Amino acid sequence: MNDIKFTHDIMQEHEVERYFKIWRESVIRSRLTITVVFLKTANSTQLNENVKDQVTSFLQSKIRKTDLLFQLSDGDHWGIFFLQSSDLEARAFLKRIFAILKAERKFQQIALKASITEIRSNNVIFEELINKNKQMLSGDEQLTWSIAEVKDYCEQPTELVKVSIIEQNAIFRQVLESTLNQINIPYFSLDVKVYEDGYSFLQSDDYKSGHMHLILMNDILPLKNGLEILHILRHMPNEKKFIIYMMSERNSEGAALNAYEGGVDEYIVKPFNLRLLEAKIKRTFTRFWL
Amino acid sequence: MIVLSIFSLFIIILLLFVVLFIFLMYLLVQRQRESYFEKVRDRYLQNYSQLWYDYLFNNALFSIVLVPRGRAQVEAIERIFSSYLKNIRNEQVELKIKQFSNQYLKAFYEKDLSSRRWSIRMNALYRIADLQIDQLLTKCQEFEKNNITDEEHFQLLKIYSLFQPDLFMEKIKNSNVNYAESEYRRLFVLLDDNVFIQFFHDFNSLPANMQFAVIDTAAVKRKMEYLEELKKLLDHDTTEINIRALKGFYEIGIIDEMDPFIPFVTSEMWEARLMVAKIFRHVPLTYTYSYLEQLLQDENWWVRSQAAKTIVEDRQGIAKLQQFIESSNDQYAIEMAQEIAARKEGK
Repeated sequence: MNDIKFTHDIMQEHEVERYFKIWRESVIRSRLTITVVFLKTANSTQLNENVKDQVTSFLQSKIRKTDLLFQLSDGDHWGIFFLQSSDLEARAFLKRIFAILKAERKFQQIALKASITEIRSNNVIFEELINKNKQMLSGDEQLTWSIAEVKDYCEQPTELVKVSIIEQNAIFRQVLESTLNQINIPYFSLDVKVYEDGYSFLQSDDYKSGHMHLILMNDILPLKNGLEILHILRHMPNEKKFIIYMMSERNSEGAALNAYEGGVDEYIVKPFNLRLLEAKIKRTFTRFWL
Repeated sequence: MIVLSIFSLFIIILLLFVVLFIFLMYLLVQRQRESYFEKVRDRYLQNYSQLWYDYLFNNALFSIVLVPRGRAQVEAIERIFSSYLKNIRNEQVELKIKQFSNQYLKAFYEKDLSSRRWSIRMNALYRIADLQIDQLLTKCQEFEKNNITDEEHFQLLKIYSLFQPDLFMEKIKNSNVNYAESEYRRLFVLLDDNVFIQFFHDFNSLPANMQFAVIDTAAVKRKMEYLEELKKLLDHDTTEINIRALKGFYEIGIIDEMDPFIPFVTSEMWEARLMVAKIFRHVPLTYTYSYLEQLLQDENWWVRSQAAKTIVEDRQGIAKLQQFIESSNDQYAIEMAQEIAARKEGK
């Protein structure tokens, strides 16, 4: 079933470090969750080179094209970088390969243990990462086929999100402001500002900063209407940072279609439920991280 | 020539000055009152908007300070409520507004209904409907007995449709006023489905404007239960009703059987042929192609154009049009097919 090809085409620890430094910066910039898995044979002292090659080839055959297998300089550990993957996917991968290794006779000499580190912060040094995992796997207390976890890097930093409410009706504007100030989204803090018309929003220059920016605006506004603002924002070079929710009294498919084609992320027909708006906003932010 | 003594002239000038002075004083007092009214209203809005928000949305306890004292505060509350009702949907909030209005605003609007000024009476009728003050229903029925305008009558019908649908049905069927289609649509769209469907039961006894509004409202409501009723109207003697029913089917977008629509392919009215070409967008091309091919060769440009558009919407549409172009002898139809196919490919 698993015909293993013996190969030594595997990256080494010092080669991977350079890539890691780039990925580490992408963790925050692109919200790219990385999970690293380290594996060690439970009985490494008795293993010969052939068995190590067999493990290498087996792992190579099981990883995806987006994953990177490498060997640590001591020759006893293997590491796998799972890009854009959370610890859940890495754990599922380990369970799958452990089950194959335990079931097939040709792998009966192999017994592994593993550690998982999920990285959601750029405050991590490669050497420190290696040492922490090695330490985790070095003790005898960790059982064969078990999976340990290093949790030092799994907390992502809180990101500031600018929020602009553009609504003409002062009472409703205040309601929206109170509602958005009360929303609690893990790892995101909202800086809410309100505008009564499109012109004052554009004059504020607040939208020119590099922060992620949630815009909640009416389609019809004095001075500069919502569709004009939408057009301006979606033609900016960094338009992807804007999450645009458009509110409208027009409950027609044509109006919604027009707004979505213009680039809104959500089209909300008035009157709407505030709890539903909250849920939509929370869901939007949850999608940014795995 | 009129001769006036200096004294009489002086008296006239003096009188004019007095009148002018009285008028000026009147304006100043009115302005003062208005300004005071605005000040009280704005102060209420400033001081209590947050309290209202907390009471309505955050389940904070109701504070007696929210109860209005005077017209200015009532207007401030109207502004708060209308902002909420227009923008936010929340049953709890709507219920609280209804309870508050029935308890504390009822007296103000009851008095307004007796006003001599039409605008004040109309405003009261609007507020009764918007704020759901059902305790004024009896008062509204009494008000109807007065000599009221058509606009007031229309607003009363709206109130009945909200608070007592049976009464609404009775009143609208026996009404002497013939409203425009758009006005009937505004009334019907508010009705619950089980009330609205009753219009189909006595359809033939309704005036034409109301019949058209019933069909159009059914199309806007997009409910499956109206399909059977619309199907019955396809056999109606009036062509306008047939066409509107076809339009309703197109808007609802659900075609469960083709047979009722086939006769319209050869209808004498081009509008009916156009609508049937539109309706066939909601049916797979395999079943409709032979009819659409016929409509593509129609004498009317709109029908030909719509038939080509409907064909091209299908995945196999362009291939079908190409096949038609190669095999047909009808130059007008070929040109239409070529134009629509080219437009689609250009996308």
